[in-house]
Amino acid sequence: MNRELVTFPFHVIVHPFNGYWDLKYDRDQKFNLIVSCVVLFLLALTNILGAQYSGFVVNLYNPNEMNSLLELVYVVVPVLFWCVANWSLTTLMDGEGKFIEIFTATCYALIPIVVINFPWIWLSNVISLQETSFYAFSHAVAYLWFIFLLFAGNMTVHQFSAGKTLGIMVLTVIAMGFMAFISLLFFSLVQQIIAFITVIYQELVMRS
Amino acid sequence: MLKSILKSRPLLLLAICCLLSTTLGGAAAYAEGDGTSYNYSFWGRTAAAPAAYQATDLYNGSDLGVGAFKEPSDLHVTTDNRIYVLDSGNNRIVILDEHFKPIEVIDSFVREGQADTFAKPQGLFVTDQNEIIIADTGHNRVVHLDSEFRWVKTIEAPKSDLLQANYQFQPVRVVMDQAQRTYVMATGVFDGFMEFNAQGDFTSFIGANRVYIDPVEYFWKQISTQAQRSQMLMFTPTEFTSLDIDGEGFIYATNGDQWGDNIKKLNAQGTDILRRSGYFSPQGDIRYTSDTGPSRLIDIDITDSEMYSVLDSKRGRIFTYNGDGHFMYVFGGLGNRIGEFKTPTAIERVGDDFIVLDKALGEITVFKTTAYGRTLNDAVRSYYRGDEKQAFRLFNETINMNANLEFAYAGIGKSLLRQGDYKEAMKHFKRSMDQNNYSKAFLLYRKEVMRQYFGFIMTAVVTIAAIWAGVLAYRKSSRRKGGISFE
Repeated sequence: MNRELVTFPFHVIVHPFNGYWDLKYDRDQKFNLIVSCVVLFLLALTNILGAQYSGFVVNLYNPNEMNSLLELVYVVVPVLFWCVANWSLTTLMDGEGKFIEIFTATCYALIPIVVINFPWIWLSNVISLQETSFYAFSHAVAYLWFIFLLFAGNMTVHQFSAGKTLGIMVLTVIAMGFMAFISLLFFSLVQQIIAFITVIYQELVMRS
Repeated sequence: MLKSILKSRPLLLLAICCLLSTTLGGAAAYAEGDGTSYNYSFWGRTAAAPAAYQATDLYNGSDLGVGAFKEPSDLHVTTDNRIYVLDSGNNRIVILDEHFKPIEVIDSFVREGQADTFAKPQGLFVTDQNEIIIADTGHNRVVHLDSEFRWVKTIEAPKSDLLQANYQFQPVRVVMDQAQRTYVMATGVFDGFMEFNAQGDFTSFIGANRVYIDPVEYFWKQISTQAQRSQMLMFTPTEFTSLDIDGEGFIYATNGDQWGDNIKKLNAQGTDILRRSGYFSPQGDIRYTSDTGPSRLIDIDITDSEMYSVLDSKRGRIFTYNGDGHFMYVFGGLGNRIGEFKTPTAIERVGDDFIVLDKALGEITVFKTTAYGRTLNDAVRSYYRGDEKQAFRLFNETINMNANLEFAYAGIGKSLLRQGDYKEAMKHFKRSMDQNNYSKAFLLYRKEVMRQYFGFIMTAVVTIAAIWAGVLAYRKSSRRKGGISFE
């Protein structure tokens, strides 16, 4: 079991179709959930450490604008947005995936970003400006790999055809945009209601 | 109650003293950077800086003993520090020495046996041979006088196919290069500067500004009819607002662009070759409120070592940049105190001092360097000359006075790099956010470290390989013996 905790995620990222099949049908969901949360945490950690400790030639960073908590939010919120949007769309379009499966598949897809970016935090300290192209290339590979895994995961979890998966992924991104818009609208309205109530309260207090 | 207060009186007194002293101390610290002097950090934030220049004297025409100035519009200072003031309202040129003692007043000249005068001249230039070029705007001509103020030639309205038939020649600024070519900035000309040869014949236009097209405006223009379109504004390039020429014959010019580059350095072909490798391209203020907008630069003055200064008429500030485009210092402002102006119109350097001409008030303000300004000027000069040791010392002195001056660290870093102290150089380049030079220093540093620890690293690698091989051999032999394998 403990050994599996490490080997299975790596098995998934190098054998995505088999791996995701195992993830959906053979694995215990609690196990998947633990791995997913660990991956999310590690990704946030990689981003935070990357912002702080990456070499100067690849990382111009302003310590005044660095916020570890926000880095955490930048990881967790997009993932949750993606999962919610994807789940909402696929339930309407005969997808077979449950929410938990979508979430774990997405988190497993993030593993290459952690695995590739983390060593580069330290490696970037010993490279020169000419060698930064290796850095950029590795990062590009990590993101392409991530997108491919996202695609494979979606396809396996929902049992879609390749074309339909691509369509769903594009629609999911659009749905994320809608969700962001609606959340902003909601927050600004709530803010205004709160401000309104505060003003009324103040008015009452001042008069009495 | 009263007793207890009385008892604690010494304590109270002490507290008051402490409070007072902190506020006084704060005021003293604040006075040093009184808000008119600042610099921009790499991140575009304003950082307070000590004043580089301070206003020391204020002169008007009556103080100088030549009668009040009336709307003076241009200044020029020669290499031997003679100051030429163009007193447009009185149609005369006043020449002062470096101590502001009047030498000469020119209000007329003799042309082909006849006395001639100026009419509302706007621009003035004096060559290294003390020949005077005057943009005699009211008479639609440019007058060239020699060093004895004798008439040499007049440049009249040019006749060219490039100009419209009803074109009115209104020169406002002039310069002349070493080869006696005259460059004229005229109102209503959008094609750049007019270039005249030594005989005063029109040759060409150089350095036209580019047209800025507002996308919204462009959209409306596309969907409107011909009749509507003719009522709209035309897209025309902005006019230049000022020009100056350096010792090598490059023209420095400012224009009224709101977008894009409002300072240009033109070569003989009219191509902009200004280096913009500072944290921001030279443009005056980069932080401003949207209702006042960006700086409007109306005068430029180029001095030695490629340093140049521009005058912002909107906020009355004078910005100075070095040849790489790093922002060095700013001073001035609009107001009523000394060192502030109402309608600043021209700036010039007299040695290291600045003189600023105020058009409406007819006054000349003199700014002298502070210790900080002097050190910074000298540091930039020695850096430009390639005198690394001197630059190192002076830049160090500068950052002792202003730790926020980020580009100074790059200067220190470069001389450290030359001296072979790569690690310190890296530290300084990092402070000035200079990735290129950091990388250079880092490569050298890496090589040095590698060389130093090569023996150790190789020993470690060989040892690890030997142990690994040993383990493999042991496993193999134990497996052959039929022992239990690890896997």
